[in-house]
Amino acid sequence: MISVTLMVSGYLSMAQTVNWRAMPDLKKNIIGISLGLDHSVSYGLSYGRSVTVAKLPAFITAEFLMPSGEEKLDDFKSKAGGQIRLIHYRGFQFSARVQGVFRRYQNDFVRMLNFGSDFAGTAGLYQKKWFIAAESGFDKAIVTHFKHSALYRAKYGNVVDGWYEPSTGGNFYYGIQTGFNFKSHSVYLKAGSVRSQDFKTKPLLPYYGQVGYTISF
Amino acid sequence: MMIAFMAVWGMVSCTKERVLNEPGNLVPRTVDQDPGLPSIFVNNALLHAEAFGHPDSTLIVVIHGGPGSDYRDLLTSKSLAAHGYRVVFYDQRGSGLSQRFPHKYYTSLGRGAVDLMYDELSGVIAHFRTEVNQKVYLVGHSWGGILAAGYTGKNPDKVDGLVVAEPGGLKWEDIETYVKESRSFSLWSELFNDAGFIEQFISGKTDQHEILDYRAGMLGSKNDITGDDAPVPGNAWRAGAVINAAMFEVGDKYHPDFSAGLEQFQPPVLFLYSGRNKVYTSAWAQHIAGAFKNVQLCKVQGVGHEGIIANSGAWSTITEPNILKYFQSL
Repeated sequence: MISVTLMVSGYLSMAQTVNWRAMPDLKKNIIGISLGLDHSVSYGLSYGRSVTVAKLPAFITAEFLMPSGEEKLDDFKSKAGGQIRLIHYRGFQFSARVQGVFRRYQNDFVRMLNFGSDFAGTAGLYQKKWFIAAESGFDKAIVTHFKHSALYRAKYGNVVDGWYEPSTGGNFYYGIQTGFNFKSHSVYLKAGSVRSQDFKTKPLLPYYGQVGYTISF
Repeated sequence: MMIAFMAVWGMVSCTKERVLNEPGNLVPRTVDQDPGLPSIFVNNALLHAEAFGHPDSTLIVVIHGGPGSDYRDLLTSKSLAAHGYRVVFYDQRGSGLSQRFPHKYYTSLGRGAVDLMYDELSGVIAHFRTEVNQKVYLVGHSWGGILAAGYTGKNPDKVDGLVVAEPGGLKWEDIETYVKESRSFSLWSELFNDAGFIEQFISGKTDQHEILDYRAGMLGSKNDITGDDAPVPGNAWRAGAVINAAMFEVGDKYHPDFSAGLEQFQPPVLFLYSGRNKVYTSAWAQHIAGAFKNVQLCKVQGVGHEGIIANSGAWSTITEPNILKYFQSL
């Protein structure tokens, strides 16, 4: 299952919020910056390239997100994957997104490296200059490597380092997104709720949001 | 990305499978999982507990914070045994290395969840008491101070001395205010990032104690608001995430008053607070201490919330001398 996911995510990649209706007017390459809430306050960079897959418009991109905080690069999230438009009828369009995720976390006790996946569907109304859509997705931490510090070992000396599987965590998210285009520029905004995979517990930051700017060239 | 994934997948497949919720992997086993740990059986729960000093001496029961912390960093106070006391430590049920119970075990009791903790304290005292007239002093830190005060208000004749160290509040509204302010980390800070970003890696389901306790323990390294701005090696064994969440749920719903009955308690109370806790100002200490009929306030300079008892320097130079002086005055 994981191998299939990885193969798909290798061929189809994705990243930023896309106005499918405006794609014919855009150039092939898009870069973007963003500021958002994603389990922390995060800054993002993204690169994308429009492609065609089985005569369907698609987008390949890579993203890098780094949370704020005094320690730089001790935590980050990178994504590579793709988004493909599957249905369009007049202004209504539906697209699916598949991403592979690699992220890192470090505090005084532990360093974690994680490989995961992010699946999402987006449906909404897309016009040449703007769009509004709803999205829903699941971000899963599939396999995680733990390496504990001397400080944690002072707390618990027999802690077992190494790769942990199966899934070590997962969060559902759902929300809305909207954006505006002008020439080769676009700005977008998305916001929504996050729930843990058991649908019972709320994360510390139970919302997500992102404001971004992209330019095509 | 695909190549990296496949490489990792191959590597993981060839190694021994490790599971987060396997006892002993990420957090230590509890007393019901490790018979080698010191334990007592009280009110249908196996509790991690130890006692130091002569069994017939005046009992000092040291009560940890949380709910869901443990007594490891309070062991500094076992030096009181050298002054002729019997010093008792226990991890409350669902906390530290004591037995775990499901979330509903607590919440189904409603308001009675607080009584469960009082009954447990009664059980601990009964377990270690060797004679009916043996005096009992309580020393509670943070939530332990709240619990000790609530117990004393309900049982004013069963407690001979009371020391509380920075109880957040004794009325629920004060507890809410204190907790909110002591955790008001900046959205942009490393502390907030450390607390939130980890939730992408480990989420855990209800009653998966190993996972939830591990994640909760990750948050306990430091808090510059409460003056605990440097992590202390070996300051705790294991967090109790489920009892912490359950007791806050009960508190939110029933607003328990831990100051009820304290007007019946005649002996003086020693009230300790720290010099570096930005939320626990002298004004806040006086406000909370107002619930006691006869109270002595003592500011422990140079430490934060956790350091009042846990910091060995502050303990030996300020906290212990004041506690001994107070006990000798009773």
